[in-house]
Amino acid sequence: MSRAYFWRRVGYGLITLFVIVTFNFVIFRVMPGDPVSLVLSPEFTPEVKELLREMYGLDKPLHTQYVLYLKSMITFDFGRSFVTRQPVLGELLSRLPNTLMLLGTSFALNVFIGVWLGTKMATRQGSRVEMGVTGISLFLNAMPGFFIGLLLLLAFGYYWPIFPIRGTMSVPPPTEFWAIILDRVHHLILPVTAVTLSGYGSWYLYTRNNVVGALGQDYVLTARAKGLTQREVLYRHAFRSVLPPIVTLVFLSLPGLITGAVITETIFSLYGVGRYLVDATLQQDYPVVQGCFYIIALAVLVCNLLADLVYGLVDPRIRLR
Amino acid sequence: MSNPRPSETPQVAPAPAPASAARGGKPRRRGALREIWAEYRRSPRGMLGLAIFLVFLFLGVAAPWLTPYDPLQDQFLADRMARPGWMAFFSRYRDEPVTVDAFLLDDWRVVEQENVDIAWGERENEPVMLARTEGPGAARLVLEYTFSYRSSPPDTFYIQVPYAFSGQGGASGRAVIRFETPDGRSYAMWESRVLRNEVRWTTQRIDSRDMQTKTRLGFNPLANLAAELINAPGEYRFVLELTADAGATGAAQFTLGESRFRIPGRLHGLLGTDHLGSDLWSQFVYGTRTSLMIGFIVAVIAVTLGTLVGIVSGYMGRWVDELLMRVVDVLISIPFLPILIVIVGVVGKNLWTLIFLIAVFSWMGVARLVRSQTLTLRERSFVEAARAAGASPGYIMRTHILPNVLGLVFASLVLLVPGAIVSEATLSFLGFGDPRVPTWGRMLQNARGFGAFGEMAWWWILPPGLALTILAMAFVFIGNTLDDILNRRSNER
Repeated sequence: MSRAYFWRRVGYGLITLFVIVTFNFVIFRVMPGDPVSLVLSPEFTPEVKELLREMYGLDKPLHTQYVLYLKSMITFDFGRSFVTRQPVLGELLSRLPNTLMLLGTSFALNVFIGVWLGTKMATRQGSRVEMGVTGISLFLNAMPGFFIGLLLLLAFGYYWPIFPIRGTMSVPPPTEFWAIILDRVHHLILPVTAVTLSGYGSWYLYTRNNVVGALGQDYVLTARAKGLTQREVLYRHAFRSVLPPIVTLVFLSLPGLITGAVITETIFSLYGVGRYLVDATLQQDYPVVQGCFYIIALAVLVCNLLADLVYGLVDPRIRLR
Repeated sequence: MSNPRPSETPQVAPAPAPASAARGGKPRRRGALREIWAEYRRSPRGMLGLAIFLVFLFLGVAAPWLTPYDPLQDQFLADRMARPGWMAFFSRYRDEPVTVDAFLLDDWRVVEQENVDIAWGERENEPVMLARTEGPGAARLVLEYTFSYRSSPPDTFYIQVPYAFSGQGGASGRAVIRFETPDGRSYAMWESRVLRNEVRWTTQRIDSRDMQTKTRLGFNPLANLAAELINAPGEYRFVLELTADAGATGAAQFTLGESRFRIPGRLHGLLGTDHLGSDLWSQFVYGTRTSLMIGFIVAVIAVTLGTLVGIVSGYMGRWVDELLMRVVDVLISIPFLPILIVIVGVVGKNLWTLIFLIAVFSWMGVARLVRSQTLTLRERSFVEAARAAGASPGYIMRTHILPNVLGLVFASLVLLVPGAIVSEATLSFLGFGDPRVPTWGRMLQNARGFGAFGEMAWWWILPPGLALTILAMAFVFIGNTLDDILNRRSNER
């Protein structure tokens, strides 16, 4: 991977970020009415309104506003929420760990289950087990993510009330360390299962198809002819060749995962960034919407960039310009 | 590869040469379609997908004939969250109350008619019954509606009687609403005062849950009045008793509108009811219609845009290609759902906005696919021949490249539909759907918001979700089968 390639990718990432940030600025200015009229009741005197316009920087010309806005985005200063009057960044940061926890766990499970099952089933292609697993995976893959969440909620939250139906922790929260951990895990099981079930399918299908393809290659035949065990042939030779695209897929699938988090957090009322975005949009709390969207977009862009860069590293056959 | 292109001056190319090139390049249309179909028919997966799609297409197209109700307007058709009607086949739900809903105007049975003349009139374009005293002295009119009730006791019932009274020359009148049970109990559900002056048009409403009515009839205010009154199978009577005294010279007149007696049932239709007693089956079939419409419109817009960008980008190359592909890169890396949420939140919840936005964020895949196909087509001999004959780029793209990517484009059109449908459902579910349009996502949003989970109302939750899944799968089946066939064909060629 050449240095030029690296900088070009970073450049594209920055351009995309710039487009998103500008879009984020434009869309909240072109809408009817200015933001102040949304926060205030009409009873305020004109002087107070003027003061507020000044406070929010709305009295300045548009291009100055834009520069100020860019500056605030770079410094992660998203202002205060219209609804709670608290700084947006603080609330975002307090919600971020929950989202990361949900995403991290379910993502690891997604990849692990999908890849492991895919490799396993590739060797048993055509068997009943394989057809069953593939059928189920296709079905779950086609099912909308939010519906999987709703079904789990219906089954294990209401019909058999084993798991809590909402929230990140019990109210009041337990005090002991292990009890806290257990409580958190208890609350996370259903959401994590939901994201995993809706996401593992594509991993499974992708791995299975590619390993099946690899198993038909000459070098696998050679490995078999050498007298290697089935295990060695599968993992050392067939699976090896599938690894590079999977590593790329890891990063490319992250945006979709974030979408899944938005939905899952809303369904299970988790205290996370995704639900923050949905709630704020429904309440027209624009500083929060801007902040959430910016953070999510930033995360996605970083993932894309990493995918591009890692792609060049894992696959020696590819030489990127 | 650099290719010396002819100048772009002639929009319409010289006739003979490209025509012969076109004959060489184009596949035989009609024959090709027949061959594809013959191959498609052999794929069980593809046929299953097609069959499922046709079932849903039928539901969507025939929606107005499949249900008599409007999915959004018609409410209180049965009790809230009534179970599907066919559940009466299970012994556990056999005796669930069924809906009794009687509109009474000329269906009243006249039991007693003394000194009363009945005429028909009209009020605000609705027919009304005019009951007038015929001569001086006392007059009495008893109207009755009999219904047989065989189910278990209901939770509620409602009565409404719209009426007006006018009396001249000191005439007076009085109205009583009675309810009589098969075992001979009689309850005066409502008694008017003695009416002496004119009573303007009013509607007397009685709700069995009303505590005052319960106490007046001698029941505990927390008792279930409907169950107390309607507690055994048999013939029940709903009676309207009008009495008047015209005096020596006066005259009295009651004007009666369409009265209604209603027991909301616990069983209703094919899929039961929601929290407002609206018919879920009608929401489901109209939702099918919306979903398919959204899916296809989005797919057509996205595919048109994607094909256009892909062909232009692939054929023109150089800076055009570079620019368009950068746009594609930027759009692909914008997180789809969050940006839709933000835009819809600001712009407003409107079906066409939603369709447009989903389309704008789904064409990039098609563009990349078409571009790569165009890159290989550009080097083929028939394109080179056309170029040598002096055809303009626009002409070549239209007549040589486009027909050859159409198959591919069609497969990706089919594959775009499920994504669009699920995207719309997800947005609706999160509360960003058009509130005036019935969709599956909205059904699920309501189910979650109005307590379907607490009451285990599976008939409300499962149908839209499973329909989404099955329809999405059907499209994937069709699309993949087409993709396989077309890929095989283009490899053979």
